[in-house]
Amino acid sequence: MTSMTSRDSAQKPRLLESRRVLTLILLAAFAWSLLNLDWTEGFIHSGGISAMGEFASALFSLDLSADTLSAAVSASWTTVAYAVAGLTLALFIGIPLGAIGSGVLTKSPWVRATGAGGSRFSLAFFRSIHELVWAWLFVAAIGLSPMAAVLALAIPYGGILGRIYAELLQDVPEAPLQSLRSTGASEWRVFWYGRLPMALPDMLSYTFYRLECGIRSAAIMSFVGLGGLGHEVRIALDDLAYQQVWTYLLFLIGLVVIVDIWSTMVRRRLSE
Amino acid sequence: MALLRTREIEHLYSTASCAVVLSEVSKQYGQKEAIAPLSLTINPGERVAFLGPSGGGKTTLLRILSGQLESSTGTVLLCDRDLAKMPTGREVSQLVGMIHQQFDLVPNLSALQNVLAGQLGEWSLLKSLVSLVWPLNRCIGLSALARVGVEGIAYQRAGSLSGGEQQRVAIARLLVQNPQVILADEPVSSLDPARAGEVLQLLVSIADEAGKTLVASMHSVELAREHFSRLIGLRNGAVIFDLPSHEVTEDMLHDLYDLKGLRAEA
Repeated sequence: MTSMTSRDSAQKPRLLESRRVLTLILLAAFAWSLLNLDWTEGFIHSGGISAMGEFASALFSLDLSADTLSAAVSASWTTVAYAVAGLTLALFIGIPLGAIGSGVLTKSPWVRATGAGGSRFSLAFFRSIHELVWAWLFVAAIGLSPMAAVLALAIPYGGILGRIYAELLQDVPEAPLQSLRSTGASEWRVFWYGRLPMALPDMLSYTFYRLECGIRSAAIMSFVGLGGLGHEVRIALDDLAYQQVWTYLLFLIGLVVIVDIWSTMVRRRLSE
Repeated sequence: MALLRTREIEHLYSTASCAVVLSEVSKQYGQKEAIAPLSLTINPGERVAFLGPSGGGKTTLLRILSGQLESSTGTVLLCDRDLAKMPTGREVSQLVGMIHQQFDLVPNLSALQNVLAGQLGEWSLLKSLVSLVWPLNRCIGLSALARVGVEGIAYQRAGSLSGGEQQRVAIARLLVQNPQVILADEPVSSLDPARAGEVLQLLVSIADEAGKTLVASMHSVELAREHFSRLIGLRNGAVIFDLPSHEVTEDMLHDLYDLKGLRAEA
């Protein structure tokens, strides 16, 4: 124990200092980017301000006609269906790869290194490509089918979930695990009886957050022509029908708020 | 079912006796000697408490006895078997079990599931998975909770229990694990004095009725004197005294905790 603390304290100042250097570099990059902006022309083109005004005032004259509302409801349903299906599939990627990637299932260093390395690499690959790019690829490969949207969402989201799950599983308190091990339990049993139950509330709350993001992504995804709220928003924007745009956007906000309320309820029940 | 139930409950109170023999056991961390070579024998069914200042080696010694930490030199015999030569954690867990100051329960599982986890080493993976959803061998878990006086909280989350209840649940888990030797690392230091006395009394009576050997590190000298038959003073990793409780004098305790000559702790 003592030797470890002394080593830690020797390393800490250096880590802190290098962090400060990194902060300085980032601040300098930001300042440099400000200097390179062209301030004389202004951010917004001449007609921009009046378009913004029109768009803002449309919020107070929402299009609540039966046609628009029914289009909004059915588009919301499509969007939610894409998000839920995509996220469900993402769980099948994220849970196993996250568990293997956390490297906690085995003590054997060889198995651990290959398993964790392999799954972390695939997770990184999945999530480094944006869902819009995946959508474009899948639309090219299998056409404009809901399957394309679901797969396009599931793959990067699986990569993100897996990475976060791996970290949450690693970061649980060690002492209860140690006392499970002292009952003779193998790492697999320690995983099921200690790690997973302790990491589960955080895993769930992160998954709910991802569902919110998934709804947003699913809406955007329909810009490539896959139907849903984004699709309706784009058509309305093309028609300059700002009243309709707002109706669809409010439905999108409503969906996100509902997911938020739902996740709060689930988390409260878990921590009772 | 009735037969099974009696057999399961008997398992909790199976008597056993097991000696702990340390010969020339030492522990070094780099240059620092946490435990100077020491030899001692703890007889079957004996109740022994380690006393001494923080950093004196109490916890290190208990961790060596539990097999969590390997000694640098020397051998530890548990029930005539060499601890270092036991092949699996499962076999060690049948001989020795430990409870800690911080209880170390899994907060999100129910008290009952925590108690049943005492058998994890013996269960198949399938059985432990089923039990996670639908606790199996409930009888043994519930009777262990009843023995420690908290059967009413079996289905509450361990994290929502008070400190005293959590420590009782940890003792119930140890009952279900059923080791021959019980180690307790400052088992009541985080409880208030009234709770501390009760829990310690419980631990001692459980060890007594099953004839188990009980070895604890103790923060409070008064509680140690009251509940343990033999006190061992550890200071700078060496044994200062090793006597029956009633023979330990105030002078000895004063010397044990005296600040002068204590090695500075990092």
